[in-house]
Amino acid sequence: MSSRLELIGPQGLRTDGRRFNELRNMNCKPSVLSQADGSAYIEQGNTKCLAAVYGPREARTKAQVLHNRANINVEISLAPFSMEERKKRSKSDKRILEIASAVKQTFEPIIMTELYARSQIDIYLQILQFDGGTVQICINAATLAIIDAGIPMKDYVCACSAGCIDDEPVLDLNHLEESNTPELTVALLPKNDKITLLQMESRLHIDKFQQVMEMAAKGCKEIHTVLDKAVRENIKDLLKKSSI
Amino acid sequence: MNTKNIVTPGQRLGFAQDYVAGPGTYVRGNLLYASVVGMKRVSKQTAEGETLVLTVSREKQQSAIPEVCSLVSKVIRITPKEAVVSIMVVDNSPCKEDFQGIIRQQDVRATERDKVKIHESFRPGDIIRAEVISLGDARSYYLSTAKNELGVIYAQSIEGAAMIPISWQEMQCTKTKAIELRKCAKPF
Repeated sequence: MSSRLELIGPQGLRTDGRRFNELRNMNCKPSVLSQADGSAYIEQGNTKCLAAVYGPREARTKAQVLHNRANINVEISLAPFSMEERKKRSKSDKRILEIASAVKQTFEPIIMTELYARSQIDIYLQILQFDGGTVQICINAATLAIIDAGIPMKDYVCACSAGCIDDEPVLDLNHLEESNTPELTVALLPKNDKITLLQMESRLHIDKFQQVMEMAAKGCKEIHTVLDKAVRENIKDLLKKSSI
Repeated sequence: MNTKNIVTPGQRLGFAQDYVAGPGTYVRGNLLYASVVGMKRVSKQTAEGETLVLTVSREKQQSAIPEVCSLVSKVIRITPKEAVVSIMVVDNSPCKEDFQGIIRQQDVRATERDKVKIHESFRPGDIIRAEVISLGDARSYYLSTAKNELGVIYAQSIEGAAMIPISWQEMQCTKTKAIELRKCAKPF
């Protein structure tokens, strides 16, 4: 037992001092870049992500043009200093490409792409610091940046992860926890509880699944309130500036 | 400033039967939702009786995307078969980045379209008013100037001075009085 890592302490607190159902501290700010059409910066605990959205603009290559709707292009890059080990990662890293395609698939039905036929929407995501939950932070950052860009979408998309430690469902795993326990990432539309992404790469007992799922969904709702507050705050600022 | 009117995507705005969905909103089921962040506005549309249009708008406007409507563009280069233009304004709203469009020889004017010579209709640098006729091949929009009110609206002569239209296919330099050929737009 002593050799095994204890993820939950004797007081029922996790390694970073959180309770089971507690999210990491979340900080977000839309409109951080002036060059991009829309941008956002998000921190969830020690995971930090910068998102930039360009478009709708003319497609760069012929092959990407869709004649009835806009093409969504997602690129994710991990900063070389983002992890414990300093390492340059190429953009064609399989793991990163997989996350990018998950983000793309999440947003395709939500963004009203049919309004912008034959154009392209580019979403660039940069992970500045990595501490677990890459997929969820990418989706949350992209949502905020797309809203900031003024691209019509049906609803917010909020993503959150949950896992199971010692038969107990836990919310919002950090890197240490996600490498030792099964992790389930859920992205949903908070207003009508529709799920747009559900991802799990390890095994979880079916009896536990329901609880973990519910916990992740609750986390998404909490994230929604944080994002919504940030967006409203931002537009209030804009209105104040434009009314003067 | 009233902050109550600020809405965010996915926020319910009202019943679909009470309003017409304007820009920035969408209908799902029998309810109307917002699709962008902005101020909620209700305006009356008088054309089709008494209908209320609900729109959500904000300062940061989206760049326009060409659709089938009139637009303003600049001629980039000409070939014997077509003129390549970059689309700058779509329906009075400017595009942030230019889109490329093509005016083919047969789309320059409505009559005697087989006798059209591109170099007698447009020159590189001309500003023209045109219309999108189809969304063309994968890269270009096909445009047409085959209407009286469509064609060159601003051009410079070889001398570099502005020119004024003197007929529907001639323009005169204000400096040298030289006459050059263009397919002119009829002034409104």
